[in-house]
Amino acid sequence: MQLTWKSIATVPTSQEFLDIVLSRTQRRLPTQIRAGFAISRIRAFYLRKVKFTEQTFSEKLGAILESFPRLQDIHPFHSALMNTLYDADHFRIALGQLSTAKHLIEQVARDYVRLIKYAQSLFQCKQLKRAALGRMATITRRLKGSLEYLEQVRQHLGRLPSIDPNTRTLLICGYPNVGKSSFLKSVTRADVDVQPYAFTTKSLYVGHFDYKYLRFQAIDTPGILDHPLEEMNTIEMQSITAIAHLRSAVLYFVDLSEQCGYTVEAQVQLFHSIKPLFANKIVFLVVNKIDVTRPEDLEPSRQALLETITKSGEVEMLKLSCHTEEGVMEVRNQACERLLAVRVEQKLKNAASGAAGKEVTDILNRIHVSRPIGGVLREAFIPDAVLSKKKYDKDDPNRPKLERDIEAEEGGAGVYNVNLKKNYILENPDWKFDKIPEIYDGRNVYDFIDPDIETKLAELEAEEERLQESGFYDEDEDIEDEEDAEIRTKADYIREQRTLIRNAARSKKSLKNRAIIPRTKGQGKKLSEMEEHIGGKLGFDTSGIAARARSKSRGRRGDEMEVDDGPQATKARNIERAKSRARSTNRREDGVTNEGARSTAEKLMKLNQKRMNRMARQGESDRHTTASMPKWLVAGKRGMGKTDRR
Amino acid sequence: MALRAQFENSNEVGVFATLTNSYALVATGGSMNFYSVFEAELADIIPICHTTIAGTRIVGRLTAGNRKGLLVPTSTTDQELQHLRNSIPESVKIQRIEERLSALGNVICCNDHVALVHPDIERETEEIIADILGVEVFRQTISENVLVGSYCSLSNQGGIVHPKTSIEDQDELSSLLQVPLVAGSVNRGSPVVGAGMVVNDWMAVTGLDTTATELSVVESVFKLGEGMGPGNVQGSLRDTMVETFY
Repeated sequence: MQLTWKSIATVPTSQEFLDIVLSRTQRRLPTQIRAGFAISRIRAFYLRKVKFTEQTFSEKLGAILESFPRLQDIHPFHSALMNTLYDADHFRIALGQLSTAKHLIEQVARDYVRLIKYAQSLFQCKQLKRAALGRMATITRRLKGSLEYLEQVRQHLGRLPSIDPNTRTLLICGYPNVGKSSFLKSVTRADVDVQPYAFTTKSLYVGHFDYKYLRFQAIDTPGILDHPLEEMNTIEMQSITAIAHLRSAVLYFVDLSEQCGYTVEAQVQLFHSIKPLFANKIVFLVVNKIDVTRPEDLEPSRQALLETITKSGEVEMLKLSCHTEEGVMEVRNQACERLLAVRVEQKLKNAASGAAGKEVTDILNRIHVSRPIGGVLREAFIPDAVLSKKKYDKDDPNRPKLERDIEAEEGGAGVYNVNLKKNYILENPDWKFDKIPEIYDGRNVYDFIDPDIETKLAELEAEEERLQESGFYDEDEDIEDEEDAEIRTKADYIREQRTLIRNAARSKKSLKNRAIIPRTKGQGKKLSEMEEHIGGKLGFDTSGIAARARSKSRGRRGDEMEVDDGPQATKARNIERAKSRARSTNRREDGVTNEGARSTAEKLMKLNQKRMNRMARQGESDRHTTASMPKWLVAGKRGMGKTDRR
Repeated sequence: MALRAQFENSNEVGVFATLTNSYALVATGGSMNFYSVFEAELADIIPICHTTIAGTRIVGRLTAGNRKGLLVPTSTTDQELQHLRNSIPESVKIQRIEERLSALGNVICCNDHVALVHPDIERETEEIIADILGVEVFRQTISENVLVGSYCSLSNQGGIVHPKTSIEDQDELSSLLQVPLVAGSVNRGSPVVGAGMVVNDWMAVTGLDTTATELSVVESVFKLGEGMGPGNVQGSLRDTMVETFY
């Protein structure tokens, strides 16, 4: 989710906007029309101008619309914050106006394009183009207010702090001047302005700090005064937005010394009035400036008042003094600890219910420590030297010299060549740099490192020989008895049959390059095949089956009509009927009544072709014009003189 | 104590080094920086051997060893073997193994008492491992990964396994190894804990990208430093881990 909007491009003023678009049209498109241009070309020229300008306008306006966040798509905290800072309605209207302007410009362009298409002269085209661009400019000029507003929003938006609404957050709130910013400054690296007057902080400030290897954000809010929400100003509303929308631990600061200018009663009262916003949040009552007044120093009536806050047991009271730094870290740690505990508990509850899927079981795996059952102690071997070794410190001038230091002295990496032999552990240190030949007398020296290698090899070979002789490696002759032989033949038979069945099935299945013939239940079998199988092979009576099959089968076509005048007559009749229904095939006789009409038509045709033939045309559609005066003969560079004809 | 280091811009420390309780192997690189990380901590305690194995720098993946022995693959040259023998104390046995799975660091994961090996390793190799390293050998997988050496990092005091190992698997492995185990990652979420770090009984070196949370898990489970114990993972580190990883 987007947390900052720093990369929005500058929004130009309406005048600048106009200049940008029009000069772009001027620069990008051809600008000259010459005397001999055909009207179609002139029309195209101006059409292009109008269309291009419209395109640029909608492109630029679209870019502005795209770059601003849409309030319904961002996190509720950010949208509420933008609402208080920029007024959501105003923002929406400004963007809406831009979008309307975009549509209007597109509409104008469409209209004028249609008009230019029918323009009769250069002048008409030009005037229409002027009118179109003029109307677009007027529409843009009307955006003056919205564009200025959006530019201001952009500048402010870019400077908003990056607040992540979902991370671990401490939220500091309270009356003005109670020491909120001082606390932020003392726990985080944020450099906030701390001044001894009210409303020094006018917007939200964010600082970050680390606790337990985790990054926390602390948000400093402007002071809130105790009056109804409707009467609050923008500065106070920012605090309210932050308190309402952020999942955080809220630190409500009070100043019991009343140096801030507000009574303890008023501060307690404010807590109670904004209490509804603290629902489902961790809240701490933080007493600041304890170097001046501690809660114990208060008179009993005020102490009782303070206790109305902590009475419910949900709100814990913490004490600190930013001035003397007393209790600052304790407050921070306690708040972080509670926040973490609540967040982790919630996450693990999700995990246990299996709501969030696989990631969660992973974390359950990771916070589990498997301890061995059985209690065998695996001792560690830590040399004593480890415990007595001084910790290496690279800033210590007497630190031991490392290989790296030597390298730096000797010319740095790539130049220094480390001697690998200098750390050898040998009986006699003098042997360290001795050269040992790798090949000696045509043999690899390392193969003979072991002095007893020859005897060991001889032993191994002897053992091998012994094993071989004793028949250790001989394979047992497997003598096939009768039973085995039978099994083998059966197995072979079974294998063969299987192959046959498989092949039959395959050939049945495979199409062998034929088209697919859809059959619902495989290929049918012939009656004769069935008779042969049941009667011949299995020896059953098949006459009944055959009779039934015959009775069910359909007879040959046309048999029913033989009653009247025999098959011959039927056939003749059929042929006759088919002929009468078929199209005649001789197209010479087609469409004319008789031979006379036919010859008249042919005469007419020849007459019509006469002209074409004379002009050497291929047909009616041949409209080819050959060059009457070939260019290479009439056009020449030499004007006056006789050499123009060559 | 756990350190972060890098070998020539690579975070996979376990690929370029082997660390045991009695010696360390470090790959020769372009400069001495990586070597000196070990040297600063281990000089005068255990010997550190600058070496290649079979001419490559991935010594951590090709070798496997513990306090009592060192196994190198068959591709190790005679000269390298000689160099290792000269650099490492006499009490450590060195053995060249003829094994098809020659990246021994990937297929063997051991401490001084027990070793987990790839299920497909040869029987002879298994016997050699038991003899040379003086350990009990178990054929195992880690959350269905056969490369036990890559996905498990082990010392005598604890172990880290692949982050997605289920609790049942962890418990089974832990009772096999008799050391506390956690599922964890190094180098900003890398699951190859064996290749991403090296560890012995008093120090660990992880990649430079390792986060503070990961490093504190490493320190806790391997008991490196004062007040470190595997209990921290369920205690003080629990909240941090839940917030970081979920």
